Amino acid sequence: MNRARNRTRTAVGLVVASLVALLAPAANAEDAQAIAIIHARVYIPGDHPPLEDATVVLSGGKVVAVGAAVAIPANARTIDARGKVVTAGFIDVGTDVGAVEIDLEAATNDTDARSSMTPGLRMIDGYNPRSAVIPITRAGGVTSVVVAPARGLLGGQSAFVDLAGDTVAEALVRPALAQHAQVDEETVQHVAGSRGGLWLMLREALEDARFYATHKAQYDANGVRQLSLHRAGLEALVPVVRGEQPLVVWAERASDIEAALRLADDLKLKLVLEGGGEAWMMAEEIAHHKVPVVIDPLEDLPSRFDRLHARSDNAALLSQAGVHVVLSTFASHQARLLWQRAGNAVRLGMDHEAAIRAVTEAPADAFGLKGYGRLEKGAVGNVVVWSGDPLQAGTRAEHVFIRGKEESLETRQSLLLQRYRTLPFAHDGSR
Amino acid sequence: MRSLSIVAGGGLAFAAFAACLPQPPPPHTEARPASSVPADPFAAPESRARTAIDAAPPAHGPAVLLQHATVMTATGKRYSPGFVLMEGGNIAAVGEGDGAAPKEGTVVVDVKGRFITPGIIDPHSHMGVYPVPDTDGHDDGNELTDPITAGLRAEHSFWPQDPALERAVAGGVTTIGVLPGSGNLIGGRGIVMHLVPQRGARAMRFPGAPEILKMACGENPKRVYRELKRAPTTRMGNLRAVREAFVRAQKYTRDWDDWTKKQRQPPPPSESDKKHDKGDDKQPDRDLALETLALVMRGDILVEWHCYQADDMLAALQIADEFGFKVRAFHHALEAYKIRDVLAARGVAVATWDDWWGFKMEAYDGIPENLALVSEAGARAVVHSDSAIAIQILNQSAAKGLAAGRAAGVKLEDDDALKWLTANPAWALGIDDQVGTLEPGKRADVVVWSENPFSVYARAERVYIDGQAVFDRDHVGAPWSDFELGVRGMPAKQEAR
Repeated sequence: MNRARNRTRTAVGLVVASLVALLAPAANAEDAQAIAIIHARVYIPGDHPPLEDATVVLSGGKVVAVGAAVAIPANARTIDARGKVVTAGFIDVGTDVGAVEIDLEAATNDTDARSSMTPGLRMIDGYNPRSAVIPITRAGGVTSVVVAPARGLLGGQSAFVDLAGDTVAEALVRPALAQHAQVDEETVQHVAGSRGGLWLMLREALEDARFYATHKAQYDANGVRQLSLHRAGLEALVPVVRGEQPLVVWAERASDIEAALRLADDLKLKLVLEGGGEAWMMAEEIAHHKVPVVIDPLEDLPSRFDRLHARSDNAALLSQAGVHVVLSTFASHQARLLWQRAGNAVRLGMDHEAAIRAVTEAPADAFGLKGYGRLEKGAVGNVVVWSGDPLQAGTRAEHVFIRGKEESLETRQSLLLQRYRTLPFAHDGSR
Repeated sequence: MRSLSIVAGGGLAFAAFAACLPQPPPPHTEARPASSVPADPFAAPESRARTAIDAAPPAHGPAVLLQHATVMTATGKRYSPGFVLMEGGNIAAVGEGDGAAPKEGTVVVDVKGRFITPGIIDPHSHMGVYPVPDTDGHDDGNELTDPITAGLRAEHSFWPQDPALERAVAGGVTTIGVLPGSGNLIGGRGIVMHLVPQRGARAMRFPGAPEILKMACGENPKRVYRELKRAPTTRMGNLRAVREAFVRAQKYTRDWDDWTKKQRQPPPPSESDKKHDKGDDKQPDRDLALETLALVMRGDILVEWHCYQADDMLAALQIADEFGFKVRAFHHALEAYKIRDVLAARGVAVATWDDWWGFKMEAYDGIPENLALVSEAGARAVVHSDSAIAIQILNQSAAKGLAAGRAAGVKLEDDDALKWLTANPAWALGIDDQVGTLEPGKRADVVVWSENPFSVYARAERVYIDGQAVFDRDHVGAPWSDFELGVRGMPAKQEAR
């Protein structure tokens, strides 16, 4: 279930139909009725305590007002959230949601390409907006995810989607959010044989892309030396080597993190670290480089030799050192449990408000997703009304708004519950 | 003594509840005398004292009195404030208030505002046989050379230096069932372990625990052996192989019974040369796999059967009926809710996660209300981990299962969900007479939590096994595992909320 580990290799062809041409703004957002959530405890961006007895107004797909004394539009639907909590929709930046229906059924699994060097792979090409996983994730208060390749030294480009819409075009926010590089034991073993070989391949690919970016005309005229990647891969890496698109490096061992920081310095890359089992040992350096770190706070085991120094208070130590901490499930079907990861980060020493930021504005800021992860005027209308503390077991997401529109909380699982709530169930044809 | 009478009342209430459970139908096979199949000497039941090759018998320290906490007993009783007195490795008293004035030498611990529960019991762990770090050298959980490996013992793969063990204790776990993996239809015998650091697996054995057998339905065996291009590759292949193994075990039982009977009969005075030739006298060869299955049919070994789908569980029960054995617990059992009436009526426990799903086809119909629905139907619901990470937060799994059930309208007390973590897994492993509830006379396996254990923020602060502190968050010392010496990875005191 961990995205980066032991994933069954998928045997699917690349779907390369261009979707960018099909992209259109979500059609339904403008039609949604204005919503006023009143009397709520509201978590606002920045290092501020939550507002009490506050109002959040959604209209036209956006957050139009947040505060204690704001005007409520005359025809707004009002939700009394007394005793409840309102946050921005949670964002999980390390998922395979929509890219896999059943992990071990290869035919349903589009989490990566067959090769280890596929920087041109676009996860959006495999995204299925009708996956049963999506409503289940949404019911957990997660409104947007990054769909990232599960493996590969340069595994491809992740997509950023809202968990709504019947078509890819409706769900899509950013088709090519970041490039993803796995620098873990498995990749070392299967791709390069050694760490040195792996960093060599990575550096060569990025340097070739930089060369390609300034020699496109010669390249097209077959007038350049042989490069380590095909054209689609080089093209995909151009925004990375220009520092426009983040390079997400999965690294666990402190020395691998150090190498990633060095590479980013040398090539002037916009780096995001993931995994980070030993990141706490590099906290000062990571903070100094202002590099975000995406971690799963429950991963506290020395499960491989590249994370022998893993410890359960990783998130707290990083956060206290001033590192930009983002929390993730690194899951597909269980991305719905992002709240529990944040709750455990608190149990293990992280500040409660920092933990909420680590699943809302921190992931948005790490990837430059303007308007996401924050409840403030002008933000995207992704909002969740929780029955209580969002990080506590037993709290439920009672209302989930995506781009200002309330989403159904019905899932395949709620239908199964309904069918089997009493036994024997009757096949009455109603479901 | 007031506390004792209160607890006795709780015990009676529980017994009455158990008596109301639908009873399993009578076995389809007629009663028969205990067979004379020899028992594996490795399986000789231990007394409460350990043997020489094991650890030295525990030296019980002074009595410990925990006071001023909310005591959750898993018997239906809750004392707030209450106390727990541990003495000589056992629970001596539990109840409301402060208890009787402590005897001289008793260590009195004020745990005001804290919660006390029985130690968590996880009946499905692969710690030790799939230890961390994940290496080829320690990949010892699945003997994938034959789908029927009933003669194996997880005990013989168990690495007591697994760093995951100490972290599980820090999560309030005191006992685990260690099972072989599920690549084989009959993977081998599991072992019930008390989580105390020892140099060898046997020394960690839970004294007096019955033998358990790991079996597996469904996808895993057929996937493994399809890749190896041999049987089984289908569900029908799975069931044929299991039935054939039990058919062989039936003959094995008969052979030993016949031979034993002949040994007991004096040779007839005449005609003895004809009927009593040397061939008939030959002692049957021992076969470790058939011996295990024969002991399953005799009821001496508890069956822990990995099955996800409702239809697979029903098919498994058919096999159990055919060969006259009982399934003690289905493990994983994500579709148990669909057949919870059957499982309740037959007294089969359901050991499962609270909300895992979708990782394979047979896991597609998992729902978060499974534990609650099974519990509501009167079957024993059990939270298990199957994971060295999930085992550290089993209390949260119960909390989530409880919340999902309540949201679906299932009436559940906190104590019901506590039973999923303690009393019910104790029953699934056959050690419910010794642990699983806070009652006088039981082993003092006790956890002190920082707050209500169903809070995501709750941490185990102190963990006692047989009345001895095995974990104290304020005094985390050198790592248990030799492997971690010199490595800074252990939970530390900085972990303050």
